Amino acid sequence: MAGLAPEGSQFDDKQYDKKMQEILTEDFFTSYDDVCESFDSMGLQENLLRGIYAYGFEKPSAIQQRGIVPFCKGLDVIQQAQSGTGKTATFCSGILQQLDYGLVECQALVLAPTRELAQQIEKVMRALGDYLGVKVHACVGGTSVREDQRILASGVHVVVGTPGRVFDMLRRQSLRPDNIKMFVLDEADEMLSRGFKDQIYDIFQLLPSKIQVGVFSATMPPEALEITRKFMNKPVRILVKRDELTLEGIKQFYVNIDKEDWKLDTLCDLYETLAITQSVIFVNTRRKVDWLTDKMRSRDHTVSATHGDMDQNTRDIIMREFRSGSSRVLITTDLLARGIDVQQVSLVINYDLPTQPENYLHRIGRSGRFGRKGVAINFVTRDDERMLFDIQRFYNVTVEELPANVADLL
Amino acid sequence: MRPILMKGHERPLTFLRYNRDGDLLFSCAKDHTPTVWYADNGDRLGTYRGHNGAVWTCDVSRDSARLITGSADQTAKLWEVSTGKELFSFRFDAPARSVEFAIGDALAVVTTDNFMDHVPTVQVKRIAEDIDDQTEESALVITGIKGRINRAVWGPLNRTIITAGEDATIRIWDSETGQLLKESDKESGHQKTISSLSKSLDWSHFITGSLDKSAKLWDTRTLTLIKTYVTERPVNAVDISPTHDTVVLGGGQDAMNVTMTDRRAGKFEAKFYHKILQEEIGGVKGHFGPINALAFNPDGRSFSSGGEDGYVRLHHFDSDYFSIKM
Repeated sequence: MAGLAPEGSQFDDKQYDKKMQEILTEDFFTSYDDVCESFDSMGLQENLLRGIYAYGFEKPSAIQQRGIVPFCKGLDVIQQAQSGTGKTATFCSGILQQLDYGLVECQALVLAPTRELAQQIEKVMRALGDYLGVKVHACVGGTSVREDQRILASGVHVVVGTPGRVFDMLRRQSLRPDNIKMFVLDEADEMLSRGFKDQIYDIFQLLPSKIQVGVFSATMPPEALEITRKFMNKPVRILVKRDELTLEGIKQFYVNIDKEDWKLDTLCDLYETLAITQSVIFVNTRRKVDWLTDKMRSRDHTVSATHGDMDQNTRDIIMREFRSGSSRVLITTDLLARGIDVQQVSLVINYDLPTQPENYLHRIGRSGRFGRKGVAINFVTRDDERMLFDIQRFYNVTVEELPANVADLL
Repeated sequence: MRPILMKGHERPLTFLRYNRDGDLLFSCAKDHTPTVWYADNGDRLGTYRGHNGAVWTCDVSRDSARLITGSADQTAKLWEVSTGKELFSFRFDAPARSVEFAIGDALAVVTTDNFMDHVPTVQVKRIAEDIDDQTEESALVITGIKGRINRAVWGPLNRTIITAGEDATIRIWDSETGQLLKESDKESGHQKTISSLSKSLDWSHFITGSLDKSAKLWDTRTLTLIKTYVTERPVNAVDISPTHDTVVLGGGQDAMNVTMTDRRAGKFEAKFYHKILQEEIGGVKGHFGPINALAFNPDGRSFSSGGEDGYVRLHHFDSDYFSIKM
């Protein structure tokens, strides 16, 4: 694998670092260096602390030590941290600390790129805010519009949603923005990318002009940071260098497969290993999810599958079965690359390498969550060798050839 | 040993407990729902629904009729084992951490964490035979310990209570007066948080596990240090075999650091040591997160481990284990 990444390509590390340096040297950010080593020392209200401890947290993680307090002070924040290290609890705590529980109007809006992720955030928010009596609603597509309207009309403190449905509710005036004081973008670089940027802009236009903004993600390329300048006010930033983003606890391997056609046989060879614990297999298109699922099942392998074209009820059932361990091998697209936290996932297979480089980190971050090691296996054809090389260089990671005893690693 | 993987918990395990007969295994986790399993084949028998927070510990009565659970939702609850019915709820001002029935099941000891300006406490609750007579009243409240009390258990004949926790000190208290009778020696004792404590079958000695990477064996009456087992990882869980001269230790690095370091640094095996010779006999791999809970079956023929990965793993010992000579 010779040669450097071509100038201007997505893996051009010199260009990335140069742009990042330009942005960081501008007088746009607020300095904030305090670190709180316990939840008790953060000045949180008692019932929020009860919720945090009831959830099972005992000590704040690194991002929580730095990130909760500035958010609670009403500051705009940009917070980046490795996958599975506690970002969701950071912004949930920040929001819960600042709500006026006597006012049953939407005061905080959280946007996430997928329905599954929005529902997961809603669950964490509800759990942490239980002693505060928080009313939180997941406002996502694929569910009953009338039901959403009814719930919003009855009053909620926080809405967690996907952009399409949230915009629809705002447009219909079922969700009134007058009291919204906090706006959070989870997986912010995805939300500010081509696919969602216009929707985010449309929503932001409808929100009050004086609003606190928080953006969170494990990946925060300079393009995303550039866009945040348009709607954030001197944010406190917590950023991680690109070569420190990957998690050493996730062991990364590749399997050389000369031709695309041979990937299926390789996957079937690995199937027995897959079923030992819970695994996610990523492919790049929805059609391919269906194709691969059919092929695996025709070879008598039990798998489940989900992607964006499936109806919401089916997606919900599949996620519930996968979370509870009823099904153990899940084939999906990058729909589930970001944010999804399932306790027993310890293996990720990139049947196809991702088309977006950031999604490599996000995908393998479905294993190796807080407190658990993980393994990622990349299927590499001749056409993929270049990309794998670029990923290794860009994120400063070593991807080794898959050993024969992979089952011992799980 | 080919383990039986028990799936059912959606968040990290915190505690495991067998009933006295060894046919049931109770597991607690951060997902609010203690679970009971058949201890031979790992089939799930049922769950106990009602807690609103992580469940830290549990204990089961001698006749396997009642279960008591301590939870971060600031309650300890009594349950009917066979039906899963919630019988009673003790409410506290802070998360409830450790629970244990006394001999005779007429009393239970419960610890509460430090929370805001509430100091940690050890409380003794009377357990009524007729649940209609049950009250929240504490027969005894012990304060004066700084730092979380991770474990509190009854001493022989229910005359004493043994506590251990964050300040690395083991204490023995009179269970009627609350008077402090003994403290572990600072120099020979643990140097960091004591995470776990488990008694021998006859309660004459007990073992403690600590974040100082060791486990220690103590005499229950005199609090004399008997043995020390040194390992290279923080110890989260310990237990003593009821039938053989072995102890088991489990742990691994702090959950917060697991994903940030190379996988070889995890050290998630359960390690077996010879109780008397203090030498490592062997280890059992499998978890991909720190081990948080360990328990021997009372028949000595199997053990279970619970991890940060959300799995309970049940291992029946090979015949080799029973013929180990040192």
